[in-house]
Amino acid sequence: MNLGTRKILDRSFTALGIGSIVVMALALLIVITPIIYNGLGAVFFKGTIEHRKLLYNEFHRGDGAELEREIAEVAVYRDQAYRMLADFELELEGMDPEKAREYRMQYGPVKTALQTLLGPPPGDDSAILTRFRYGQTRWEKAEEKLHALLYESKWDYSDPDVMAKEYFVRRAESFEGTKLAPMFGFVEKNAEKMLLPRFTLYWGFLTDSSIDAHIFGGIWPEIQGTFFLAIGAMLFAFPLGVVAAIYFTEYAKDGVFTSMLRSANSTLAGVPSIVFGLFGLAFFINTLNVSESKSVLAGALTLAIMILPTIIRAAEEAILAVPKTYKEASLGLGSTKWNTIVTVILPAALPGIITGGVISLGRAAGETAPIIFTAAVSVGSAIGIADVLSSPTPALSWNIYNLASEHEAAAEIRHVQYGMVLALVSIVLLLNLSAVLLRARISKKLKG
Amino acid sequence: MKLFSKILMGAAVFGMMASGDASAAGKIVMDGSTTVGPIAKSFAAYFTRTTGTDVTVSESGSGNGAKSIINSTCDIANMSRAMKTNEIAAAKAKGVNPVEHVVALDGMAIVVNPSNRVKNLTKKQIRDIYSGKITNWNQVGGPTAEIVKIQRESNSGTQDTFKSLVMGKEAPISKRAETQASNGAVKSRVASTPSAIGFLGLGFVDGSVKAVSVEGVAPTVVSVKDGTYPISRPLFMYTNGQPKGAVKQFIELNQTPEGMRMISELGFVNQ
Repeated sequence: MNLGTRKILDRSFTALGIGSIVVMALALLIVITPIIYNGLGAVFFKGTIEHRKLLYNEFHRGDGAELEREIAEVAVYRDQAYRMLADFELELEGMDPEKAREYRMQYGPVKTALQTLLGPPPGDDSAILTRFRYGQTRWEKAEEKLHALLYESKWDYSDPDVMAKEYFVRRAESFEGTKLAPMFGFVEKNAEKMLLPRFTLYWGFLTDSSIDAHIFGGIWPEIQGTFFLAIGAMLFAFPLGVVAAIYFTEYAKDGVFTSMLRSANSTLAGVPSIVFGLFGLAFFINTLNVSESKSVLAGALTLAIMILPTIIRAAEEAILAVPKTYKEASLGLGSTKWNTIVTVILPAALPGIITGGVISLGRAAGETAPIIFTAAVSVGSAIGIADVLSSPTPALSWNIYNLASEHEAAAEIRHVQYGMVLALVSIVLLLNLSAVLLRARISKKLKG
Repeated sequence: MKLFSKILMGAAVFGMMASGDASAAGKIVMDGSTTVGPIAKSFAAYFTRTTGTDVTVSESGSGNGAKSIINSTCDIANMSRAMKTNEIAAAKAKGVNPVEHVVALDGMAIVVNPSNRVKNLTKKQIRDIYSGKITNWNQVGGPTAEIVKIQRESNSGTQDTFKSLVMGKEAPISKRAETQASNGAVKSRVASTPSAIGFLGLGFVDGSVKAVSVEGVAPTVVSVKDGTYPISRPLFMYTNGQPKGAVKQFIELNQTPEGMRMISELGFVNQ
C-alpha cells in the first residue's frame, strides 16, 4: 500500500469517527432539548390567580392579604360574566319552549367551558375533586380553554366517502341576539384581568406532594421513592458485589466452577429487567414474604439483584487494574493476604469500584420494569424511613409511564410528566457527575 | 476514611429528613384495574385527607388485582370484571375469601375518531368489526377507510367484559386487532388514528374521541343507570373477607354523598 492510499484511509477513518460522535451529540441534543424545555415548564410558567389560590388553600403558602386583593380585583370582571350567564338563564325561562330547548343544548357546554376556565362560580363549593374546585392554574392551558369557550369544534361530514375535517364555529354566532352573545367577547377581552397571569417560579413542584392524582401539586413522593429504591438497592448490592469481586480476583482458583460462576454473572447482566421484576414478585413477595404487599424493601432487593453483576464486573476490573507490584511489595513486607487486600488493594481500586457503583445507582434509579410488580404505585403519599420495610412508594420512572399512558387526564398534565422526566434525568446525571468527581478526587489523593 | 464518614453523614441527614413525615395511622394498599383507577385514586386522596390513613393505588390491570388479592399482597383489589371461578378457587385454596363490593357502574363506550362520520353501531356490527368480518368503515355507513381495531391486553377486565358482553363465545377477536395496555393508551391511539375503533370505560371519554351509540342508545349516565345502554357493567372492589375498620370505611365511601359526588364528577355512574 502506498503512502497516499494510507493517508486517505487514515483521514476517512478520522472523518468517520468525528461523524459518529457528531451524530451521537445531535441525537442527545434532540432528546434532551425538549425534555429540558418542557420539564422546566413545570417549575417556571405563567401562573394564574387560580394557581395562587391553590397554593394558599392546599399548602398555606403565599400572601393571604395580597390574594384577597387579587380575588376582589378579578371578581369585578368575573361577576359581570356570571351576571350575563344569569341574565341569559332568565331569558331562557321566558322563551318559546322549543327554542329554549335548542339553546339549552348549546348552553350546557358553554357553562362547563367557562367553569373549566375560571373555576366554579362564587358560592358554589360543592365540587369534591380538587380538579373541579379551581380554574386553569397555568396561562397557556387557560388560553387553550379560552379557545374552547369561544369556538365550537365541528366536523364536516358532508363528503360521505372521506374522513371529516375539523372546523371551528364561533359560539357567539349560535347565541346571536340573546343576552349571552356579548359574554364571549367580554371574556375574550378580559381573560387576563380575570386570571391575572404572572410569571411564577413554582419550586414546590419538587417538594410538594401531588394533589388529585398529579393534576396539581408536585412530585416529592416520587423523588423520595426513587432515592429510597436506588439507595436501598445499593445497600444490598454494593457490599455483596465488592466481596464477590474480591473472591473472584484473589481467592477463586481457575477451574470449571469459577468459569461457571463468571459466565453466570455475565448472563445475569444480560437478563431483561422485566424478568427481574417478575422474579422479584414471585420470590421476594410471594415466596419469601419480605413484606405483605409491594414494598420499597422488595423493590430494592429486586433492583439489587439487577445491578449486582455490573458492580461485580466493575469491581473486578478495578481490582485487576491495581499493579501487581503493590501486592508483591505488601506481601514481601510480611503482611497477610487479608491485610493486603484491605489496606493496599482495595484503596487503590476504590475509584474504579465507586464509579461502577454510582453508575449502577443511576441505573437503579431509572429502571421501571423491576419495580412495577415489587414496589411502585401510581398514587401514594411520601413515606417515612420507618415505612420502607412494608410500604410501596410512587417512583419517578413508573409514574412517568403511568402519566404518559394510563392517567385519565394524560393530555392535560403533560407538564407534570415532563417535569418528572427532567427530574429523573437530572438525578441520574448528578449521580454520574458525582461519580466522576469522586473518582478524580480519590485518584488525586492516592497519587499525592 | 473521611470520605466514608461524609457518605454516612449524608445518609443520616437524608434519613432524618425522610422520617420527618413519619408513618400515619394504618394504611390501605390497592391494586388492579386501570378503569377503576380514577375512582380509587380520588377516593384515596379524599380518604387520606379526611382520616389520615395512607392509601396507595397501583393500576396494573384487573388480572393483576385478582392475583394480588389471591396472594394477599393487597387489601383491596380493584376489578372491572367479576372474579372468575378459577380465581375464586385459587383464592380459597390459599385461605383467602374474596368478597365482592360494587363500587360504581360503568358503560363501555365504543369510541371512534371524531373525524369518522359513523354515529351508531349495532352490537352485531361491533362484533363483526372485531371478528374481522367487516374491515372497512364504508360497510357500516362510514367513509372508505380500513378499520384499525384496538383491543386491550389479556390482563384487562375491560377486555374480558367486552368479550363476554359483545363478542360472545362464537366470535373470537381477530388476530389483526392491535393491543394497548390501558384505557388511556386506547384513548390516545383512537384520538390520533382517524380510522381506529376502541372501547373504553365511560369515565375516560373526553372530547378527543367520539363515543358512538350502540343499538341507537348513546352511552350516558342516564342510559347506563336505567340499563338501556346495552354494554354496561358494574365495577368491583374485592376484599379478603368482610372488610373491617379503615378498609370497611373506605369500601363504604361510595354510599356517602361525597363518594357519590366524586363518582359522578369522574363521569362514572352511581349504583
